[in-house]
Amino acid sequence: MQSTMKEPDPILEVENLSASTDNLTILKGVSLTVYPGEIHAIMGRNGCGKSTLSKIIAGHPSYNITNGDIKFLGENINSLEPEERAQSGIFLGFQYPIEIPGVSNLEFLRVSTNARRKFLNKEELDTFDFEELVKEKLEIVKMDHAFLSRSVNQGFSGGEKKRNEILQMALLEPKIAILDETDSGLDIDALRIVASGIKKISNDQTGIILITHYQRLLDEIEPNYVHVMSDGQIIKTGGSNLALELEEKGYEWTDNFIQEA
Amino acid sequence: MEIIEKIKTNKSIDNQTEIQEICLNKLQSIPIPNPKSELWRLSNKSKFSNFLDYSFNEKNPEFDTPYPNTSPSTIRLLIGENYQIKLINKNYSIQQLSEDELIKYMKEQISCFDKNENWSDLLNLSLSCKKNILGLKINGSKIPPIEIFSHASSSSLNAKTLIIFLEKNCDVDLLQVNLGKENSSLSQSTFFCLKENSSVNHGVVSYGENKSNLLNSLNVIQQKNSKYNLGSLHFKFNYARFEIRIKQSEGNAKTNIKGMQITKKDEQISTYTKIGFHGPNGFLDQINKSLADDKSHAIFEGSIIVPKIAQKTDASQLSRNLLLSDLAQIDTKPQLEIIADDVKCKHGATISQLNEEELFYMRTRGITLEEASKLQLSSYFQEIISFIPVSKDRWDLLDKLLTEN
Repeated sequence: MQSTMKEPDPILEVENLSASTDNLTILKGVSLTVYPGEIHAIMGRNGCGKSTLSKIIAGHPSYNITNGDIKFLGENINSLEPEERAQSGIFLGFQYPIEIPGVSNLEFLRVSTNARRKFLNKEELDTFDFEELVKEKLEIVKMDHAFLSRSVNQGFSGGEKKRNEILQMALLEPKIAILDETDSGLDIDALRIVASGIKKISNDQTGIILITHYQRLLDEIEPNYVHVMSDGQIIKTGGSNLALELEEKGYEWTDNFIQEA
Repeated sequence: MEIIEKIKTNKSIDNQTEIQEICLNKLQSIPIPNPKSELWRLSNKSKFSNFLDYSFNEKNPEFDTPYPNTSPSTIRLLIGENYQIKLINKNYSIQQLSEDELIKYMKEQISCFDKNENWSDLLNLSLSCKKNILGLKINGSKIPPIEIFSHASSSSLNAKTLIIFLEKNCDVDLLQVNLGKENSSLSQSTFFCLKENSSVNHGVVSYGENKSNLLNSLNVIQQKNSKYNLGSLHFKFNYARFEIRIKQSEGNAKTNIKGMQITKKDEQISTYTKIGFHGPNGFLDQINKSLADDKSHAIFEGSIIVPKIAQKTDASQLSRNLLLSDLAQIDTKPQLEIIADDVKCKHGATISQLNEEELFYMRTRGITLEEASKLQLSSYFQEIISFIPVSKDRWDLLDKLLTEN
């Protein structure tokens, strides 16, 4: 996928991945490689396996990998626990961020950040130092400091929850971020804030996978590659124009690709 | 069982008081609780026998479990100590009930006892000697928080009784702590009378040790426009039974209850509540949480009684339960008895396990499964703990609880 003189090592390699849950096969041989600096978009109808792919990469215990491998920075991570994957730099932004009543957002963010910092052999932050760091990161998503004293995502609006996800991404500084329908439920202003946050956090050393239904997020963040998924498989890969074509022609147009695949 | 022998033979206790005599006589005429009785059907028979097995002990030896640190702004009392309490301030007064007041009130209470429901109180009052009954009359406002401790001593059965009169317009925070001791049984009965316009934030924390047992009974009478908030927590008992009976005597009163019981190993802890509305416009908001692990058993049975006179009652009772092991058991039965036709009443129960999606969310942020489980449990506790009137920074017991779980 890269044409540079000396190709860098990929961040993420998904090789012929098949997976199931409750004896139901959901992924049927997905392959995807993400290099540093790349932005990939995955599109497809509801139920095609997009979110499942993201959860399996993040290590959701409800899914079994029946075939294939997931490699992160060259290492096979099929058997790693979700927290080990997160600590090593894989971030999953949830479509529906979970509310955790009674757990303060600030403490949750601090514990998460320190888990990642420990992995990176960086000094863990006490409450005061963490407050300084988080203040700086709040700017990226234009969030009020008051959100920190509330319980994790409890009583947050849809937009606030998504901004809180991007705040977590900013604090954890992942090598790869998989953002599952981060644009859903956002108004135009919130979408711009979230998109601008993602752009600020990403750089030429990180990879991003955007899972989305709509072109409007891709108007803000232009992907290098667009993949179309159907029935647990990637049936078509193209450049950013593929998303525009999809927007225009709808998913029925992609049914032809299934036969080709 | 020495205690049962005493009841059966009506063998008098040394220096027996009039109240003790009345209660012993009543106990003699009713059967010992057994699984045939609806209110005791889930009670573990061998554990209950173990409760009664210990020799009765009136003495209060030095207690070696550390109490929370004292605070200059808190009034601390230990049931069983010889007090002459008379705290009079320009804003408030706290005085001991006279013997006559105490006997008169207890006789009134005993005359209203239901022989099936009040067995625990009859046992308590037949065993509690004068020294182990603390009666207080509290008046005024801006009262410093009050802490009252009951404790058992090893290898014996202790009985402690607390009687509180909250005078008109009085407002107070009162924390009651029941401490079990290794191989011990504690019988604790509390009688609360809230007069008009009075308000109390009442905390009950019962914390046992290895093989300790507790029979804890709480009787509350609320006069009109009174407000009774109860936050309770029971844990670490081989066997514990918490009975709550609240009567809104004229309606027009508010009751909020947030209770929790935590069972591990093969422990059994149960909560029984009966809330009766005896006038219109009563209000109740009750939540009871259980958390059962290992092979333990947690029980909640609650009833709300709304007779015809209690029109416009607004009552809600919810039982939420968390089952942490395949071998643990939870029984829950919230129930309503409604005769009045213009009321708003609801009840419900849920039993679940730790939320997998919450755990996964936390794990995707680098938090280990163990830490994520602890965070989730602490969030489960938080709603109850925050309702208990105790300064958390002064008392590490609740922190300890959170850490251990």
